[in-house]
Amino acid sequence: MNAVWQSLAVATVATLLALPPAVATAWVLTRTRWPGRTALHGLTLLPLVMPPVVTGYLLLLLFSPKRALGTALESAGLPVAFHWLGAVVAAGVVGFPLLVMLVSVAFRSVDVRLEQMSAALGRSPWQTFWRVTMPLAWPGVAAGTVLAFARALGEFGATIVLAGHVVGETETIPLAVHAALDVPGAEQEVLMLTVASVVLGVGAVLTYHWLMERHRRRLELDR
Amino acid sequence: MRLQLQATVNRSSSFELSVDIDCEAEALAVVGPSGCGKSTLLEVLAGVLPGKVLINGRDLSSLPLHQRKLGWVTQDSLLFPHLDVAANLAYSPRAEGIEEVAQALDLLPLLDRRVAHLSGGERRRVALGRALTSRPDLLLLDEPFAGLDAQRRRAALSLIHTVRRRFDVPVVLVSHLADEVVGLADQALRLEGGRVLATGPAHSLLRAGETHVDNHLEADVCGPEQVTVDGVELRLSLPEGTSGRVRLAIYAHDILLARALPHALSARNVLSTQVVDLTPAGGFVLVSLAVAGLVATLTPEAVAELGLAPGVEVLALLKATSIDCLGPA
Repeated sequence: MNAVWQSLAVATVATLLALPPAVATAWVLTRTRWPGRTALHGLTLLPLVMPPVVTGYLLLLLFSPKRALGTALESAGLPVAFHWLGAVVAAGVVGFPLLVMLVSVAFRSVDVRLEQMSAALGRSPWQTFWRVTMPLAWPGVAAGTVLAFARALGEFGATIVLAGHVVGETETIPLAVHAALDVPGAEQEVLMLTVASVVLGVGAVLTYHWLMERHRRRLELDR
Repeated sequence: MRLQLQATVNRSSSFELSVDIDCEAEALAVVGPSGCGKSTLLEVLAGVLPGKVLINGRDLSSLPLHQRKLGWVTQDSLLFPHLDVAANLAYSPRAEGIEEVAQALDLLPLLDRRVAHLSGGERRRVALGRALTSRPDLLLLDEPFAGLDAQRRRAALSLIHTVRRRFDVPVVLVSHLADEVVGLADQALRLEGGRVLATGPAHSLLRAGETHVDNHLEADVCGPEQVTVDGVELRLSLPEGTSGRVRLAIYAHDILLARALPHALSARNVLSTQVVDLTPAGGFVLVSLAVAGLVATLTPEAVAELGLAPGVEVLALLKATSIDCLGPA
């Protein structure tokens, strides 16, 4: 049962950390036009199309205690590789593209003419974002966040490479299932973790649909 | 107010607005048929589309939208759906005199209403009020009379008169109904095909030299924005709660004819029909169509270019906003 709590904690922190940069990236992708935009879009999608194990390896290179960033973080008391934070970074990076895509969908559904009207009335782009875009898009943003959270719960490939399998620290549901499958007589544990996964998954999908319904209704208010 | 405007905007491959305007006006009416570029011109003034704009010599071109101090009122109101009427009126950081504006526009009873619960006419009043409370240097009104019946149109007209008197703000007003704005504007500008055809004092410009042919017809309402005439469905904006049989007016200048369906069309109504008859009138040709007895006005050049003759199959294109509902039949 420990793995369930571990998964929930890792996925929660990973999603919350990924959310602000995902929202900023989604805004840039949906509201600006400049030459590097397509390249940024491609870069954002990279963790989605690469094998998660490869993503994990690249992260390991970046956060390795033998390199500058890894050393700096470790001396600051924030070790990443083979620690709890590694599981968070892996889940956050792999879930990032999905989060950007779903937040973009929410932003695209807000009429840019309402934002232009906000500007014409004297509100800066920053104020317009907080007074018009976000209030209208938030149920869609929340729905995307829930789905990305569910994706983070199941992260395996990048996690096992970057964070390793440390019981009680980086052992999330998928890692625990993977380990238990090799142990004779652990069927009971596998079954329990499977049930927990299904319950969490169904809960996330239902919450997603409920929020998307709110999002749709919110945008239809003015139609 | 002195208004200078230079802009070249390509909206599509087939339409370009290209204007160079320098005029002195307190209330400028921009008139012309549907699709002539009136709304595009207003969007350049508002700063949504690129162009060089000077008001009383102050160059707005390089200013971002939120520093221009313009009161932009669009056809579709664009009220913020997540805010109530009072919050919409108070939206601008420059907002002041909300009570005074609300009183002048008869909005006091609506202040705590949500936008979703407003009628079409109420939305227009709130949109105008929201522009006024932002203390604009210039008010931009896009088709303030479209979709209103005759009675509401008179009310809207007198409202704009009141606003002009009381808040002393210069206005640029776009309308496809030249007759409606003649009493409101001191200067007028006629657009056609994205070019300025004429400018001058409103009275002489809007009354003279116009071949004004209206199509008056009766139709049955069959949906919130739909009527049938002669078995043909038309989309238009109707006043809230309209039902039964209604009278419609369609200006002959607003009917576009085509031999084949153009790509990426903004017009909501495409009627497949035949030319019945061609009658030269003034500098124009009146083209009678088989569908609903409609008459369109075209230039002789357009008639030749399209190869129009009695019996020829054509498509009549009509924007929803160029059909006016005059009231119940």
